[in-house]
Amino acid sequence: MKVKRLTLFLTMLCTFLLASLFLAGCGKSEPDKSKSAAKNDKVKITKTIRIGYQKNGPLFILKSLGTLEKRLAKKGYQVEWNEFQAGPALMEALNAGSIDIGRTGDSPPIFAQAAGIPFVYIAAGKPKFYGSGILVHDNSSIKSIKDLKGKTIGFAKGSSSHYLLVKALEKAGLKYSDITPAFLQPGDGRIAFEQKKIDAWVVWDPFSAAAETGANAKMLTNGEGLTTDRDFFLANEEFAKKHKDIINEMIDEIKASSEWANSHHAELIKMLAPLLKIDEPSLKIAVERREYGVDELTPQLIKEQQQIADTFYDLKIIPKKIIVKDLMNH
Amino acid sequence: MKTFIKEAVKSIIPWILPFLLLLVWQILSFDGIISSRILPSPLAVLKAFLTLSMTGELFDHVSISLERALTGFLIGGSIGFLLGLFNGVFKWLELFTDTSIQMLRNIPHLALIPLVILWFGIGETSKIFLVALGVLFPVYINTYHGIRSVDKRLIEMGKAYGLKGVSLFLAVIFPGALSSILVGVRFSLGVMWLTLIVAETISAHSGIGYMAMNAREFLQMDIIVLSILLYALLGKLSDVIARFFERKWLKWNT
Repeated sequence: MKVKRLTLFLTMLCTFLLASLFLAGCGKSEPDKSKSAAKNDKVKITKTIRIGYQKNGPLFILKSLGTLEKRLAKKGYQVEWNEFQAGPALMEALNAGSIDIGRTGDSPPIFAQAAGIPFVYIAAGKPKFYGSGILVHDNSSIKSIKDLKGKTIGFAKGSSSHYLLVKALEKAGLKYSDITPAFLQPGDGRIAFEQKKIDAWVVWDPFSAAAETGANAKMLTNGEGLTTDRDFFLANEEFAKKHKDIINEMIDEIKASSEWANSHHAELIKMLAPLLKIDEPSLKIAVERREYGVDELTPQLIKEQQQIADTFYDLKIIPKKIIVKDLMNH
Repeated sequence: MKTFIKEAVKSIIPWILPFLLLLVWQILSFDGIISSRILPSPLAVLKAFLTLSMTGELFDHVSISLERALTGFLIGGSIGFLLGLFNGVFKWLELFTDTSIQMLRNIPHLALIPLVILWFGIGETSKIFLVALGVLFPVYINTYHGIRSVDKRLIEMGKAYGLKGVSLFLAVIFPGALSSILVGVRFSLGVMWLTLIVAETISAHSGIGYMAMNAREFLQMDIIVLSILLYALLGKLSDVIARFFERKWLKWNT
């Protein structure tokens, strides 16, 4: 009897392990490989470029348009797209060499540089400070940034919002210690804001647009004059050294897809709404106050990014001072 | 004297494997076989430990987490114990509640965060709630199981001696179930620390769960590994504490 039981147990255990193995295999993100363009072309597809993207970014638009695949197929490349929920995870993938190129907001590269991850900046996105800002409740007694003194403010630690808030307080003559920070990721922040557990919430689009349309929020101030809140396009150091041409072609395509996005708002909203699971009115606000595009890494832009890095160092978010220029001499 | 040496050797043996791993790890990172980007060397982790201890940051993290963990443990453990107790004793109650409890058991804490913020806000209550919830189930299941599996012959014997009701429970059933209850306690002492990883993402400013998640966000590998080691040690410590009580309370059983 005992032996029988043991066998039964072992069989069950094995089945379970096999099942979990199988499930783990399925759960792994299946990268979309696009080879369609290869047919009409004589160049043989031999190499793969691996791109990391986030759902609400310019690379996502590029992916949806499918133009990059066609262009790179001529060079013998196929494109593999990998989706990431957040910037830090994308940087981890760059670190491990699982992706060649990726896009994040302005703060993940700073942490990555402080952590010694081998990557370089290849280009920047256009400023998008209209969509990022400090939100308060419609009927809030907070009328100006000065009123934030002594209030609880929610934001994600070490995000572009963190920087925006520090700059806003600075401009209003307040100190960071004058407020009570509540570190919350955007999703959690929304709930805390709606429940009035926090007095103000610093966040970016499309979260801010969604809160403005759906959670009685109004923007106390946006990021204008405080931050530029850019996207950054990053590449693995090795890859950037060896494949400058590919990177340039990719930047061209990002530019082209951004132009499309700027001139086709209606189509863009239709395309993004179901994927981001955000209602169209909110998305309309977000899309209309944002300009897609690519900026060169000018000295002015390097200075902006250096200021963010210095601020994070002062806030003890990064353990050492970094020189962002070192990774920008592409 | 001989038994003394034997005891000493016995207490060293369990630590040989972790120590060897540590040694190999250090040698490999020293040789550059393991890149410091992939895994920081033990010395780098030790350095992170020392800097964090010097600034008092580590002590803050551990003490605040300990406070959250123990409060949650006391609340969740008591509820789990009482539920297990009553369900073990009263069959109709078990029929009524056990299915619900088993369903609640498998809800991942991460999925609960939005609800927890809605119900308990972003302060300490929400963190303690999550710990209590995590701790409740292992205690419940093991208490229930312990009480159900007390040797029927012992109960018969107790009854033969004229014990019934509360006195039967205190003299026979509870001591009989104690070893199983302590297994639950031991398990939940481990779970209690794990829950903090999730709980301390809710607007926390310190705590070891916060430290680990924060390090992940900011790609600080040395602190990530340090948190992992801390978790391992706290797990062992919980085990030692539980064993201590086992030895103390289960003398009759050995």
